[in-house]
Amino acid sequence: MAEREVAQRLFAKELNDSILSFATASNDDVSGINYPNLLISPTGLRINRVFVTGVITEVENLISEVGKERELWKARIADPTGVFIVYAGQYQPEASIFLSAIEVPSYVAVVGKVKIYEPEKGSGFISIRPEEINIIDSTIRDRWVIDTAEFTLKRLDLLNEFLSIDKCGKNLIESREIKEIDSKLREDALKAIEFYGTDQKYISDFKKSIHESLLSIKENSYNKIKKTSDAENVILQILEEFDKGKGVQYTFLIEEAKLRGIPEEISDTGLRSLLDKGDCYEPKVGLLKLIK
Amino acid sequence: MNDIYASFIEEMAKTLDGIDQDDIRNELDKLLKFRVPLQEAKRIVFNKFNSKKGVEIKIKDISQAPKCFILKGRVVSIEDKNVVIKGENFNLHTGKIIDETGVCFFTAWHDFCLKEGDIIRVHNAFTKRWNNRIEINFGQHSYVEKLPEDSSIPRNEQVFTQFKKIIEINSSDMLVSSQGIITEMYHRNLSIKGKDTIIVEGVIADETGKLPFTSWISMEGVDIGTAISFKAAHVRLLRGIPSLNFSYDTSWEIMENIFDMDLIRNEPSIIPLSSVVKKDGIFDVTVTGNIISVRPGSGLIERCPICSRVIQNSVCRAHGTVSGIKDMRIKAILDDGTGAVYIVLNRELSEIIFGKSMAEAEDIMKISLSKDVVYESMKRSLIGTYLTVRGNASKNEFGTTIVARSAWIPEDDSFSRLESLLSKFTEEGCNNG
Repeated sequence: MAEREVAQRLFAKELNDSILSFATASNDDVSGINYPNLLISPTGLRINRVFVTGVITEVENLISEVGKERELWKARIADPTGVFIVYAGQYQPEASIFLSAIEVPSYVAVVGKVKIYEPEKGSGFISIRPEEINIIDSTIRDRWVIDTAEFTLKRLDLLNEFLSIDKCGKNLIESREIKEIDSKLREDALKAIEFYGTDQKYISDFKKSIHESLLSIKENSYNKIKKTSDAENVILQILEEFDKGKGVQYTFLIEEAKLRGIPEEISDTGLRSLLDKGDCYEPKVGLLKLIK
Repeated sequence: MNDIYASFIEEMAKTLDGIDQDDIRNELDKLLKFRVPLQEAKRIVFNKFNSKKGVEIKIKDISQAPKCFILKGRVVSIEDKNVVIKGENFNLHTGKIIDETGVCFFTAWHDFCLKEGDIIRVHNAFTKRWNNRIEINFGQHSYVEKLPEDSSIPRNEQVFTQFKKIIEINSSDMLVSSQGIITEMYHRNLSIKGKDTIIVEGVIADETGKLPFTSWISMEGVDIGTAISFKAAHVRLLRGIPSLNFSYDTSWEIMENIFDMDLIRNEPSIIPLSSVVKKDGIFDVTVTGNIISVRPGSGLIERCPICSRVIQNSVCRAHGTVSGIKDMRIKAILDDGTGAVYIVLNRELSEIIFGKSMAEAEDIMKISLSKDVVYESMKRSLIGTYLTVRGNASKNEFGTTIVARSAWIPEDDSFSRLESLLSKFTEEGCNNG
């Protein structure tokens, strides 16, 4: 039975550091074509399909430079730790069209497979071939950063455990605590430690960079919450002033809020949150009343 | 018969312990008369006699059964079934067989004249997985010996009933006893073989989980909120999800409510997709993830008015040219970074999540004159977004699918999660400093 492969969440920094590739089946195995080529990241994550979000900062059309493929678009998508490189060619027609029309900068989400180009041993260029690409809003981007931070920190903590056990001089594989961890995870973490020499310094550096990423998000989401609560107060004020028993029209409410300096989008979110909280209600579509 | 083969026959008789040399000679002779090459003849004869042997196994070891085996047991139930496989009609006989170690479903692909209560020994039986359950099959090469009554084999399957918590009930159970609270219940009129029957359907829960049940017996005095304990309910599998069936041999009684009601609240708790894809099927599960793909077949579709199948160009696979009924749906892949499942949303949920009614979607289609425009528009508005889905999960050859009973955009909890993540950093900072 074919189980769909999970789209991994990881930051650009980690993805771009991943150069350890291995095939899940040996190359001379004919059926091996069905097995994906995987990368193992410095934190021991198996990567093939990824789900990433970020700000698209640059789109280039590489037709003239490459020439072999009829169409090749290269895009740079920035997350708080680095940049994902996305290539879309003739085999990603939808993504190519998307990239040819996108406005820069904007928030995007990308689902795709990771490709490694190794001009020589030990150095690799990582890119993503998109399966799906779409415009998203900043809320989704922020949530993705939080999700990814959680996943990454969990992996780093696991690595940390491996390393500290190693330090105590115990045999890594024989140790009881390690045995309880899923064998695949263990194997990949050990491979990563061996290949990349992932150490405490790497872990603490990475954690620092995640911390910074989170702080950058915090400002954003704090502002949003503040803005929405401002909008809520203004809407409540308008409702109190203008509701003479028959309620207030939605269009009027939004216009009035605009006059008081609240953009339409934010007053709409504010209104929805008020409706959710039960501070006001909608007796008829487009008509709003306070609950007293 | 030429004696050049004598040494070979002797050798074969030795390996096939217990087979008469004359039998081997006869078989070989038959083949050689048809000028079958000796090497091939040897192989055929060897296989023929070798397959008559075989290990006898017990039902409890069925999961490790060899390709072909012997089984002795009692047929405790049997019914005839007519199925069509690849256009061919088959008369099947399915039922349950027990021995002193356990119960198992069986399917006989030929009429072996089996009756309820028969003690039989089946040769050349094999196992198959059907609905995620191992079944014993009697096929072309099988033959059945009827044996005299053997009192060491129980008369009915009830002796194998286990007492379990609801969460522990799975596809390996045939009969089970448990207790729980009825959280949903309704009556349904059914016509079975021309007789009107009222059955009770619902959901039973304990503090560990919940399962759907169907009762074919009267449940007088039971209502939503009643705690009951039951013995020997049949476990059926519907798309990998276990369900409890109370039939005439099931007993139940109302009991004192000893359950912690807080744990049986209806509030769904969100579980990671990795634990969903591990199981064959889960009843009433809630998951959150990103929509990472909207599959073809989403958008406006037409269904056959008779069988509700999706149709293309007004032609139904089963009913020919029909005038289709318009419908809308979303098929997508939900991924939370630990696992990925297919989700299916019906028209009502699609309208909410897509943010456009079916009528509006039809208008878009009319204006653009393109069939795919609604699908494209769904992709643009959905890919990347977060979604929470509640429904039943079941596994098939394409992976795990959740058919949504409800779906909503999860509340944005990023602020509180952010706070807790950041507080961990400050803690660590203090510890290190």
